[in-house]
Amino acid sequence: MAPEIGLYLLIIATTLCMLIPATKLLCEKLKIENNYATTLIHLNTFSLCCSVAILGALFVNNDFSVSYVANNSNSQLAPIYKVAAIWSGHEGSMLFWITAMAIWSSWVALKQKSSEKFHEYFYVVTALIMFGFLLFLIFTSNPFARLLPNIPAEGRDLNPILQDIGLILHPPLLFIGYVGLGICFSGAMAALLDKKTQLQQNCKQLRPWAILAWCTLTGGNAFGSWWAYNELGWGGWWFWDPVENASFIPWLISCAMLHSIILSEKRNSHYLSTLFICILGFSTCLLGTFLVRSGVVQSVHAFANDPTRGASILVLFSIVSIAGFTLLAYRFKQLIPTINYELFSKTSMMQLGNLLLLMASLSILLGTCYPLIYEVIASHSISVGAPYFNSLFVPIVLLLSLLMGAAPLTHWQKTEKTTKMTLAISVVIVIALALTLNIVILRSFTFFFFCGALSCLWIVICIALTLWQKYRATTDSRHTRRFYCMCLAHLGVMVSILGATYSSYFQQEELLRMGPGQGKVVAGYTFIYEATEEVETTSYSAIQAKIDVRNGDDEHLTYIYPQRQTFNSNGMQLSAAGIHHGLFADLYISMGNQLSEEEYLIRINYKPMINWIWLGAIMMMFAGIGLLTCRSRQTERLSINQAKALNGGIL
Amino acid sequence: MKYLSILILLTCSLLTTMVAASGAARTPEQLKSMTIEIASNLRCPMATNQTILDSQAAIANELKAEIYLQLEQGKSKDEIVEFMVARYGEKIRYMPSLSVGTFALYLIPLMLFIAVMCWAIWLIKTSRNSTVYLDDEA
Repeated sequence: MAPEIGLYLLIIATTLCMLIPATKLLCEKLKIENNYATTLIHLNTFSLCCSVAILGALFVNNDFSVSYVANNSNSQLAPIYKVAAIWSGHEGSMLFWITAMAIWSSWVALKQKSSEKFHEYFYVVTALIMFGFLLFLIFTSNPFARLLPNIPAEGRDLNPILQDIGLILHPPLLFIGYVGLGICFSGAMAALLDKKTQLQQNCKQLRPWAILAWCTLTGGNAFGSWWAYNELGWGGWWFWDPVENASFIPWLISCAMLHSIILSEKRNSHYLSTLFICILGFSTCLLGTFLVRSGVVQSVHAFANDPTRGASILVLFSIVSIAGFTLLAYRFKQLIPTINYELFSKTSMMQLGNLLLLMASLSILLGTCYPLIYEVIASHSISVGAPYFNSLFVPIVLLLSLLMGAAPLTHWQKTEKTTKMTLAISVVIVIALALTLNIVILRSFTFFFFCGALSCLWIVICIALTLWQKYRATTDSRHTRRFYCMCLAHLGVMVSILGATYSSYFQQEELLRMGPGQGKVVAGYTFIYEATEEVETTSYSAIQAKIDVRNGDDEHLTYIYPQRQTFNSNGMQLSAAGIHHGLFADLYISMGNQLSEEEYLIRINYKPMINWIWLGAIMMMFAGIGLLTCRSRQTERLSINQAKALNGGIL
Repeated sequence: MKYLSILILLTCSLLTTMVAASGAARTPEQLKSMTIEIASNLRCPMATNQTILDSQAAIANELKAEIYLQLEQGKSKDEIVEFMVARYGEKIRYMPSLSVGTFALYLIPLMLFIAVMCWAIWLIKTSRNSTVYLDDEA
């Protein structure tokens, strides 16, 4: 009975989503005030939340008559993973996505006290997007579909790779980020539909949404790569895999979106690029979803694949992008900005950075889709992988870092001569430093290393200069929190670049056969294979190597246990790496095939600074949270005025 | 005389690089790092989208050994990659070779970059025509 109620709730939600634009049209025709939108939005959220709760209850109660539960759960599964299994497959994650979108729109409705045209349009566009998604969900991927009459006695179990803390954090963050891009898309559409005079006011509304979307996408991507590093057992943290790219491209666009919205807010211009980026963001999000879920690309990250669903997502993508870009083209003439700044100014540097981010994301999209297109046209396949993307992305990162460092030092329209001089001198110093570092450490010129070193040094020096500039001019203290958040986020980018560059150039690797009693020295640490052990848990049985790690002074440091796991439910084999985490270096061991009776193929890695990649991401997220929680300039000014008035009254 | 000495110097340096590039002077350390470098740029024929270095399929281990052996024989990186492409097809290469079919893959990002640069140049020209004032609101 419960699954049917869940499905009915979905149908009710679909109807409610249709009613929102319908009432809007009707009220406009009858010329009466439309007070229904927010009520309908909240009702929709309520019914969707209930259906998610029902799906959760089905998982907890092991109702294997529901095919989604039977395919993604098992009575032996730990309770926390049963809850997380809601979003572990295609159907559930779509439901989660729609529900998150509904909750977000309710949040917007709750925060908005007075009804404005912008919000009415916003509700309509959001409802239409949810309507499309719900139709897709009900007709092609119903999470409540039953397996009748042959009810399986036991579920197929959650994919063993997914049984990790990563599943609890990574997908929800990513989906909330996607939803944020969807919400920004609705906001952009509403701003385009609304009067032009309201544009500045309306674009301000987008700012917290864009920050939250960027923040969650940062977290989602970082957690994803951290999870792959810990779980997949090949020691990589980023592989430019199509599935990784599908979430990385929206992140890049969300970066551009955030900067463009800030630029629009500060300068009251550049609405064309801001709105364009908002529309592009959600479009690439849907395109990425299509790539990941239709199974057209081969990926190391297993995910629910079904070619029949691809077509429906492609239809959604076409409708969204065609509608968005058509409306933008229709309003194009009213949005063309006037040029009142020179190249060496904050405005143009931010614009240039956004253009570079868009260029990077479109190029990565091209590289991701190219093998597909090539296969269709030339009927034999090629691979586009890490070497291609690295040679494309690293120079762009260098250019972005240069802009990122310089922009905060300059003025919005024009820059003073002294600042230009300081920047020119620091560029020369930084290039010289980076070159020296490169030659001294690596003994030969290596372009990627040079790019990494230059980016890091430049950002650090520029942040120091920016702080110094701020310290000297303490007249305006209103924006300090936003300012420090910006510095923190940029510093986070630098820390991530540092981690990525350093770990890829100074990691040490050994691939060798090892058995009990054998040892190997890697990077000053001695690794001694002590014994092969057998481990039994409720979900898997495993053989593990007990490896003693000793430091340079031959003192015992720790034991590392890489495993080869065999899952009880489906017999799937998996190698789980053993990692000793440290702030400055990770010791990473994975266990490969059995080579003789006692010996296994063991891969030992010394990965210095690798955790800094994720440390940087955490810094960016903190910066985002800091931005979200600080009050806007207007409310601050208002409260200052109120305080003044109050003081005046008392005095 | 001056030109002659330069010529001799050039030939010497060329010869040294050639000797260094050939297998004669490769230490086991060099062989290992070169194997890792080559294996990390080739796709495993068995596993789904993994490099030969990362993949744990039997064929990937064989190919790692093959790369090492060929390096020991003194073959260059390009020769080994060509050998692999001949055996397993173009798909094994993660960095696609430049051909008619992959032309767009390299051209489009370049065009995009040129477009961004054109915008910057256009901006310089336009801002020169309009007067720009320094505003004090940072």
